[in-house]
Amino acid sequence: MVRLDAVGLRYGGGPEILKDITFRLDPGAFCFLTGPSGAGKTSLLRLLFLALKPTRGLISLFGEDVTALPQPAIPLMRRRIGVVFQDFRLLDHLTTFDNVALPLRITGQRREAYAQDVMDLLAWVGLAHQADAFPPVLSGGEKQRAAIARAVISRPELLLADEPTGNVDPALARRLMHLFLELNKQGTTVFVATHDEQLIRQTGAPALHLEHGQLRAA
Amino acid sequence: MTTAKPGPIIPPEAAPLRTLTVTMAVMCTLACLAIGALTLINRAVDQWSHGLSSEATVQLRQMQGVDPQAELAKLQTLLGQTAGIAAVTVMDPKDAARLLEPWLGTGNTADLPIPRLIRLSLDETHPPDLEALANRITIEVKGASLDTHQRWQAELTRMARSLSLLAYAILALIAASAVAMVIFATRTVLDANRQVVDVLHLVGARDGYIARQIDRRFLATGLYAGLMGVGLALLIFLILGLSGRVSGEGLAAASRSLLFAPPTVSLTSYAALLAVPVAATAIALITSRLTLIRMLRNVL
Repeated sequence: MVRLDAVGLRYGGGPEILKDITFRLDPGAFCFLTGPSGAGKTSLLRLLFLALKPTRGLISLFGEDVTALPQPAIPLMRRRIGVVFQDFRLLDHLTTFDNVALPLRITGQRREAYAQDVMDLLAWVGLAHQADAFPPVLSGGEKQRAAIARAVISRPELLLADEPTGNVDPALARRLMHLFLELNKQGTTVFVATHDEQLIRQTGAPALHLEHGQLRAA
Repeated sequence: MTTAKPGPIIPPEAAPLRTLTVTMAVMCTLACLAIGALTLINRAVDQWSHGLSSEATVQLRQMQGVDPQAELAKLQTLLGQTAGIAAVTVMDPKDAARLLEPWLGTGNTADLPIPRLIRLSLDETHPPDLEALANRITIEVKGASLDTHQRWQAELTRMARSLSLLAYAILALIAASAVAMVIFATRTVLDANRQVVDVLHLVGARDGYIARQIDRRFLATGLYAGLMGVGLALLIFLILGLSGRVSGEGLAAASRSLLFAPPTVSLTSYAALLAVPVAATAIALITSRLTLIRMLRNVL
């Protein structure tokens, strides 16, 4: 599903912030990525959702070498990946419903075709009552759940989450993690970057530890 | 279930295109004025050329030892026998003298050997061979020469061609300025919506899809600005046409002729004016699309 071999990354002419990153995630895996702030977790996730290109090494997603992927193929690859950002990245001018429906809308689907699926998912994450609300009026937890719903609405094969519980209280964090486990049970490979060691212990899933740009098993 | 219509993916309020609309409308007005001038030049040249090419003049100079009346009779016979000449009018010597009055003053031409002038109306469908006619006149009639007005016609055509080129250059400059403005506005819109574009990219939107969300606004802007420009230009022509005393009768008549010419004539000028909004829309749409695709390609 995901394979990285000796991947290195540097921004411009700066120092290498990811060094010789090598790991693999099998289909259906659930794995954490942990490490202190500034260790390179977000950069590693950005490599995985194709927002960055590595300066060296090989990244393979779904059996394809993404470093050699032609530009027109990148959007199709991204549609197979759901991403939850630490800062939510919801569009403030769209309702919660429209934000969640965005991955379906950009594929050209009509509203009638996806409206029920979106409402079902909003109900599943407990946001059905906020479907017509705009992000600025949502609480942090509601924004996080809306961001998760957007990430999974198109049933991605791989779900990447960057500190998905960073802005929520412990009870909501456990609830969100429960959502991820449910998705994982349905076949989605989940890779979650977090520095919440307690959450990792509670979940019991394996974790990779990133420190000073280098990876080791936690 | 939510019943609201899906919101616009690119918020229109993030980078309004009001400035572009106004400047493009002004550009379109200028383009219409240039087209109006071009139409008037072409029409005037057609009229002048038609007038000059359907007439010719024979000049019969007085020469020592030659009977002018006999030569005139000989000339009339020759012209009468030439096919392609519809009418021959011998100008009265007094009328010919009057033509010189602006230079020589009234009453000073009595003793001068003023040439006789003969006006020829040519058959436009079957005109005579003017070169052969000129040779025959020179050889057979002493002191006679044919003026075909070709020199005047050539100068008029040259002047008209220069004016036409100037009008085309103005149109090209207007189009180039419009392209530059659209590129600038496209960049502004993209910069103002950078976060939206990033999210769209990350959920798997293709560059073409993102570009379509933005360039449909440029399509509307181009069309609206073009129609406003044409409307403004027609208003200017109308005001000029109605205010002959202020703008000068020539300009007023020209403006009126643009607006109120017979349908066979005005159809082309109206079609040229209505091409302006079409061109403005095409410039806005194509330029914004190409700029967007080029810029989006550089964003991973």
